[in-house]
Amino acid sequence: MVSLADLKQNARNILKEGKVKYIIGYQSSSNGLRPVPAFIKAAEEVDKLIWNPLCVYNLTRFLVDEKRRKAREKNPDERPVGLIVKGCDSRAVNVLLQEKYIDRDNVYIIGLSCEDKGVVDEKKLARKFKEKKIEKIEFGKKNQFSVTTEKGKVEVAAEEILADRCLECSANVPVIYDVLLGEKTPRKLENPYESLKKIESLSKKEKWAFWKDQLDKCIRCYACRSACPMCYCDECVVDSINLAVTAETTAQEKEQKIRWIEKSPQLSENFVYHFVRAIHLAGRCVDCGECERVCPLDIPIRLLNKKLEKEAKELFEYVVGFNPEQPSLISCFRDEDPQDFIR
Amino acid sequence: MMAEEFEPKIVAFLCKWCSSAGSDLAGVSRMQYPANVLPITVMCSGSVSPLYILSAFNKGADGVLVSGCHPGDCHYIKGNYYARRRIALVKKLLEFFGLEPQRFQMSWVSAAEGTKYREIIKDFVQEIKPLGPQTKLRRNV
Repeated sequence: MVSLADLKQNARNILKEGKVKYIIGYQSSSNGLRPVPAFIKAAEEVDKLIWNPLCVYNLTRFLVDEKRRKAREKNPDERPVGLIVKGCDSRAVNVLLQEKYIDRDNVYIIGLSCEDKGVVDEKKLARKFKEKKIEKIEFGKKNQFSVTTEKGKVEVAAEEILADRCLECSANVPVIYDVLLGEKTPRKLENPYESLKKIESLSKKEKWAFWKDQLDKCIRCYACRSACPMCYCDECVVDSINLAVTAETTAQEKEQKIRWIEKSPQLSENFVYHFVRAIHLAGRCVDCGECERVCPLDIPIRLLNKKLEKEAKELFEYVVGFNPEQPSLISCFRDEDPQDFIR
Repeated sequence: MMAEEFEPKIVAFLCKWCSSAGSDLAGVSRMQYPANVLPITVMCSGSVSPLYILSAFNKGADGVLVSGCHPGDCHYIKGNYYARRRIALVKKLLEFFGLEPQRFQMSWVSAAEGTKYREIIKDFVQEIKPLGPQTKLRRNV
């Protein structure tokens, strides 16, 4: 099991040695159990760090913000940023490296192994403990979480409250790191695409009915885009405003500019948004589940990414985020790529 | 008055170096084929962004065709291979959403294959007619 004391000690050491400018990790918040990201700048603050099954966030996203911040600074601190990652998050770092968005020496990676478990889905947890107030949740013994309520401590089987993505996770141990805490527990993954089965088994009509309901809900808050570590474009096609607009551009000219997608949250536009989002993440999504978690309307966005992950594996034998040297999915090809659908 | 038969609108993204010339050949050879196609010449099938395809559906296309050079014949050496990969993913995702897969097709048509182009368009129109108008993805404004 990952020991918090080890984590703190490691963090303290690298801060003391001045190896990193700050460490991104998790700390507890005033919002009940839910942790929030922590930015630890000095060795004295290290005690703020926590590690529990609700540390769900993919902190890799902050590397994107860090890069932007650095670009604006006159004399940026060139030291790396310390980043605490889980297995899935470490794959995200790999993709950023693969795309040359960051350099390996921009980041000092502290990997935490999820071992035989993963992180907890807050909604599942709330459903399981309906009226009881949860005081604490910890990693328990094999395949168990221990949850403390006002009525005492109970052990819960991991698969009951694990986040969906953790049930289908292929990287319970970080794949890239400078320090690794916790055991390299081997884990067998029997149904990597279990969550897709329900929808794939539907008929065309039912599929559309399902997605129509889901997409109709979308209010286009773009939370999924903001939370995604891979959505780092400075200008998104969905709300681009910079298509050569100058001070001289007339209202008529602006009116004629291509707008790929209308901003209004209608079904047709929402479809284009979600489709484009999924396609832009094909071969890049590491299934950290952040998009779905942050969605205020509970749209199962993750399924779209998962579907493309599955197709990339089955059609092109392409796996994301394990090798930072490989070319990206749609900028490479094999002679034997399937083409039976082409006339 | 008799109801008019449904005539699908098809947007075809044709590679400038092959399929576009192929469609020209069909034209200058006076081959007869349905007039349902709106051809858009692009520089390479590999330059067709998924967004073009969605945009066509969004603006009322009943079917979309992307046509490029045969493998090995790309003017830019590998553009059609990229297209093949990307379009396979688009097709799979459209199916996952529950859209009729027949509405979106890809073909290899060389500059010499006017006849093949004609056949493809004929078949495409035949396949889409029974499906009726595409309303799922059409913008309602």
